[in-house]
Amino acid sequence: MGAGAAEIFAGADSGIDLVESGGEIAARSPLQLFWRRFRRDRVAQASGAFIVLLILVAIFAPLVVKLFGLPSPYTQNPSLSGPFGEPLGPNGAHPFGVDPLGEDVASRVIYGARVSLEVGVVGTAIATLIGVTLGLLAGYYRGWIDTVISRLIDVTLSIPLLLLGLGIGSACAVRGCVAGAIQPGVGVIIFLIAFATWTYFARIVRGLVLSLREREFVEAARALGASDARIMFREILPNLVAPIIVYATLQIPLNILVEAALSFLGVGVRPPTASWGQMIAAATPTFNTAWWYMVYPGAALLLTVLAFNLLGDGLRDALNPRTSQ
Amino acid sequence: MRALRTILLVAFVAAVMTTLAACGSSSSSSSSGTSSSGGSSLPAGVKNPVDESLTGGKKGGVLNEVQAEDFEHLDPGQAYFQLDYQITNSTQRSLYSYEPNTFSQTTPDLAEGEPKISDGNKLITINIKKGVHFSPPVNREVTADDVVYAFDRVANPNVANPYYLGYLESIEGMKDAKGGPIPGVKATGKDTIQIKLTEPQAAIVVASMVLPWTAPVPKDYAAKYDAKKPSEYGNYQVASGPYMMKNNSEGKVLGIGYQPGKSLTLVRNPNWNASTDFRPAYLDQINIAIGGDANVIGRQVLEGSDMVQSDAPAAPIVKLAVQQHPSQLTISAGGGAGDRYVAVNNSDGPFKNVNLRKALWAATDREALNRLRGGKTVADVMTHFLWNGIAGFEESGGFPGPKVDYNESPTGDMKVAEKYMKLAGYPSGKYTGSETVQVVGDSSAPANNVAEAVNSTLQKLGFKTKLNLVEHTVMYSKYCGVVSEKIDVCPNVGWVPDFGDPQAVLDVPFNGNLIVKNGTNSNWGLVNHPKINAAMEAAAKVVGEKARGEAWAKIDEELVAEAVAIPYQWAKEAYIESKNVNGINDYWNSGTFNYAFTSLK
Repeated sequence: MGAGAAEIFAGADSGIDLVESGGEIAARSPLQLFWRRFRRDRVAQASGAFIVLLILVAIFAPLVVKLFGLPSPYTQNPSLSGPFGEPLGPNGAHPFGVDPLGEDVASRVIYGARVSLEVGVVGTAIATLIGVTLGLLAGYYRGWIDTVISRLIDVTLSIPLLLLGLGIGSACAVRGCVAGAIQPGVGVIIFLIAFATWTYFARIVRGLVLSLREREFVEAARALGASDARIMFREILPNLVAPIIVYATLQIPLNILVEAALSFLGVGVRPPTASWGQMIAAATPTFNTAWWYMVYPGAALLLTVLAFNLLGDGLRDALNPRTSQ
Repeated sequence: MRALRTILLVAFVAAVMTTLAACGSSSSSSSSGTSSSGGSSLPAGVKNPVDESLTGGKKGGVLNEVQAEDFEHLDPGQAYFQLDYQITNSTQRSLYSYEPNTFSQTTPDLAEGEPKISDGNKLITINIKKGVHFSPPVNREVTADDVVYAFDRVANPNVANPYYLGYLESIEGMKDAKGGPIPGVKATGKDTIQIKLTEPQAAIVVASMVLPWTAPVPKDYAAKYDAKKPSEYGNYQVASGPYMMKNNSEGKVLGIGYQPGKSLTLVRNPNWNASTDFRPAYLDQINIAIGGDANVIGRQVLEGSDMVQSDAPAAPIVKLAVQQHPSQLTISAGGGAGDRYVAVNNSDGPFKNVNLRKALWAATDREALNRLRGGKTVADVMTHFLWNGIAGFEESGGFPGPKVDYNESPTGDMKVAEKYMKLAGYPSGKYTGSETVQVVGDSSAPANNVAEAVNSTLQKLGFKTKLNLVEHTVMYSKYCGVVSEKIDVCPNVGWVPDFGDPQAVLDVPFNGNLIVKNGTNSNWGLVNHPKINAAMEAAAKVVGEKARGEAWAKIDEELVAEAVAIPYQWAKEAYIESKNVNGINDYWNSGTFNYAFTSLK
């Protein structure tokens, strides 16, 4: 995404447009144009609906679990295993089967959505906030500010995220680090994701701002005596909303995968909290005999990532139709 | 582009549905007949090491052995792992050894006969056999000086033997030895060794002579390797047993007969004299392949030929073997198979309170913990701390164990647990203290599941817990048994005795006098009860198997009365072989294969 992002989103500030509608020429706002294009994209709509459903399921997970008559994801039932300790497969009472501890896989998949969405959305939001702010400053002021921020981006990008996560997970496993302030868990994953991904937002925003700051409306605002802050946040930033939304939507699934990868490597959330990555990791040794323990959280992860990607594609097409042609 | 995305979505959904349909639902139940073996049950048709016939094997052939894990230390002075022992047992001749089917009766190996114990259990005299020769490039006959050097080097920091002081501390000068001559160990003739003790502890010193550190080491050849830190003798070792690691003319083994992480090759020792040894040594060569997926390895062994697997097969393979290949499966119950228990901190934190320990014992579903590790086929519910095949086991309660209410229900009894919570000062029957219980477990399966189950039990008792799962070796080296870490519960610890003596089972894990403040301890619960410590010190001096059994059985009962840990598994180790292999397994070494007795059909 990074290199050509400025070009991809170049038409995002196109303003009011004229289109034909029922034989008449009608004026439509960018929002109306976006919505008109987005409504035509059934796949993006289905993905959006899936994500909304997923968010609702995550928020109301206890209710959903109760509604389907499933046990709590933390209820262990050791009697649900065979003589060799093999867990019970899918059945009426446990539609997705149980794990070796006798915990219901369906309810754990439902609760696992909470971690994935929390990490994906909050991590991306923090990264967006940092990246957009620093990108705006670098692109608008240029000079030594741009140099410092750009070098900071280079340095940050050179830090391998998974290795950093493994290092923190290993060094801070039990007692934590920095007087217990850093402990493996959701907080650390969100921090790692925000730390590693703000750079992408900053680079894109910087590139766009370098272009926008030379445009007439910025010069006009400057001529009218507007302050730098007003120009950055009231004049330039609104023109960046579309690319930021699109990029954030595409970044969320990547961050969900990072959470899954870190949890798979044992750095993520601590048991018994349910997480898809952790479930997949735990299922690896027993996949031959208990496929359900890996397939369902795997499918949930895959569908969620796919939905966010498809929605991101749809938003990009709707916000800037030139890129889909 | 949209069409592509639609196809992608549909294809994905179809793939998921197809996968689910193809996999089908699994049955959770299966049955197999069982036969009883000393109170522990084994599935029908499965072999037991104690019943194996040790004679009549076919001479010749090459055995291919596969194992997922690598060896740890192959130097006989440092080896301390069952896979390592599998090698040292066929390449080295310690003073005494066990035949494969016993864990109590030792057989003189390099020693000519039983040791002579005199001076009130403070002097041991041993004669060694004549006609035993080292393998190339040393070739010469083994003398008493070579055994004396083995004693010297066990205390050499470069050799880094991890256990010698636990058993040999009473040898005169051993405590202060650093690799040089030990005043209490002398060759009084070409074939005679004399060992002087400062305390009357001959029993435990002699018992430990089955370990590979007593194998002879030629000082004239090995000293230059032992001078290096760490010692390189393991990479250039010579053999005294029927087999040797393949080496070059300089005796170098590393990179030739042993490729770490890849392979190890044992060939016949050309200088081995069969008339001096009780081992038949049927096979001509043993090729060991290291690494691989346990499931794949298991299938190769069961369906292939000339193969054995030396580490425990995966649970699905055990199930397959029980149901379809029972005659190719050996299960070793008791003896050297070891145990597993939940260590609770007796010295610090909430579990200093004996009633809280009893409450946790009562609440723990020990059958469930065992099911997480493969079920009854590979585990018996542990009810006390000595186990089957060790002197004192029957005296301290046998399989049912001591009759105390918190030990009665193997599936856990919350009412009894509540009783002890109240006795501990929590009238509601739930823990209401402010402390958070720190639980540190092993992150690998199935231990991680056991840790989670124990964590859940603690929460049922009202404890606020913090569960951390770390890598197996990190758990042992950094947290469990490290005094300064103050870990409250370690749910994944276990013990395999070094030899078949009750002291070897109970002393190291539960004797508070052995706790070191700075460093790691194998007393993971930091058990330190003066009365029990004193009883152990006294029992260490008792001589005779029966008397020692009785003395240590009383200590076992005390350990249960103090609920020093939550025992849950007497392990039963499973091993598989190909159909044309007559595998002989060492009951004393967790049931691993004995290459010097195994043959091809």
